[in-house]
Amino acid sequence: MDNALYVGLSRQMTLRRHLDIVANNIANADTAGFKTEQPLIRTEPKAPARSADGPNPIKFVLDSGLARDFSQGALRTTNAAFDLAIDGPGFFRIQTPGGQRFTRDGHFRLDETGRIVTQSGQPVLDPGGAEVIIDPRNGPVEIARDGSISQGIEQVGRVDVVTFDSLSVLEKVGDNQFRNTSNAQPQPAPGSLVRQGMLEASNVNPILQVTDLIEVTRAYESLNRMMENTQDLSRRAVERLGRVE
Amino acid sequence: MQALRTAATGMAAQQLNVQVISNNIANMNTVGFKRQRAEFQDLLYQTLERAGSQSSDQGTVVPTGLQIGAGVKAGSIYRITEQGVMTQTGNQLDVAIQGRGYLQVLMPSGEISYTRAGNLSLNDQGQLVTSDGYQIQPAIVIPPDAVDVSISRSGQVQVKQAGQNQPSVIGNLELATFINEGGLEAIGDNLFLESGASGAPTLSVPGVDGTGVLLQGYTEASNVEAVGEITALIVAQRAYEMNSKVITSADQMLSTANQVKS
Repeated sequence: MDNALYVGLSRQMTLRRHLDIVANNIANADTAGFKTEQPLIRTEPKAPARSADGPNPIKFVLDSGLARDFSQGALRTTNAAFDLAIDGPGFFRIQTPGGQRFTRDGHFRLDETGRIVTQSGQPVLDPGGAEVIIDPRNGPVEIARDGSISQGIEQVGRVDVVTFDSLSVLEKVGDNQFRNTSNAQPQPAPGSLVRQGMLEASNVNPILQVTDLIEVTRAYESLNRMMENTQDLSRRAVERLGRVE
Repeated sequence: MQALRTAATGMAAQQLNVQVISNNIANMNTVGFKRQRAEFQDLLYQTLERAGSQSSDQGTVVPTGLQIGAGVKAGSIYRITEQGVMTQTGNQLDVAIQGRGYLQVLMPSGEISYTRAGNLSLNDQGQLVTSDGYQIQPAIVIPPDAVDVSISRSGQVQVKQAGQNQPSVIGNLELATFINEGGLEAIGDNLFLESGASGAPTLSVPGVDGTGVLLQGYTEASNVEAVGEITALIVAQRAYEMNSKVITSADQMLSTANQVKS
């Protein structure tokens, strides 16, 4: 078999994965706090199938990881009292049965006991790591830029906004949440502002994603053409060589 | 092919989004209606390569993992309980709630439901009822010879009867508040039921303990903003189209793969 086929196949496999990632970006184009992802591709010098061809090493294609674009998404006004958006870097801290999680989806509400919780009902934490409890009977809730919550003139709590030195320690776990995969400790994010009554839209750029989509499909097709040509070559070689007496 | 299923979840989510938006637009002129919004969450991720896993015996680690998401799901459809605009009707049995709180309605089944639609009327026995004829709780009966009804901001109902100079108090309207009013279960006809998510109702005199006040002669219009809904509709439609484009692309790639000559 020819190495060209294997090299083409290695690229086609990464293209299939690329399409999966683009599909996920587009599916989440309207998901609050969603961050765009892009596959990273590297060349992989592996031993070729047949090395008698000469000294040229053969380079396969392999996906080497995922780049996550953590840039700010657009802020969208909802006017709901417990919808919070982070303007700047940082994440809200959430307590889940599996440990602490981090999210930029600030679509919160009160549960029946007055805790501030996420859409899935998991409590939001304050800087001390405690749940934030509000009694709505004490008046309208105002959440300031620094995350402090007040009713009237009295401060009743605070939502924590934290960030990490390197955001690549975060892993997505679904439900718009990230998990810390290392021992890195979350740091306070002093420069970030909390905006009440707003949500951060996803930072998916639809035009780029659709362009990616076209590129992936076309690249896949041209590899197919390349592989067909290679096969053609060997078929013809077999025919011609067969005629030589 | 994962991309096909991922795009299908995207299309399903946008379809749900359009359903919610169309319900908002349909109820633009419904008294006391609160607009709803669908919020989405990403689905589980398949981790092909874990960030932070070892990449050699020398202790080097993979700096960025490789994760592929499975699409999107509806996280919640929540009600935005923002105050609607007050519309003056001049009808003396119309009450609008300015602030938090719900009127209590006795359902034919004996259950108590809650509403913000204060377009009330009288039934044949003079009882204060909703537009469907369900009794308001606590029950208030307007005497047949009443010439004038006034409802104060704190819910006191007074009537002036024929031949009397002084109005007399015949009852008090109460408002029910909930810790999480977004968790109430909507049952149609502008009515809501208490649910596990809303918490138990707290009854209080209007204007006390942070509850709203009553305004006689007004109704609360829906808080749907036409422009906002139309914009959301356009966004949803475009997102739907983009997802269908992904399906086309995935299909094209599969067909390319099928055309390989052996």
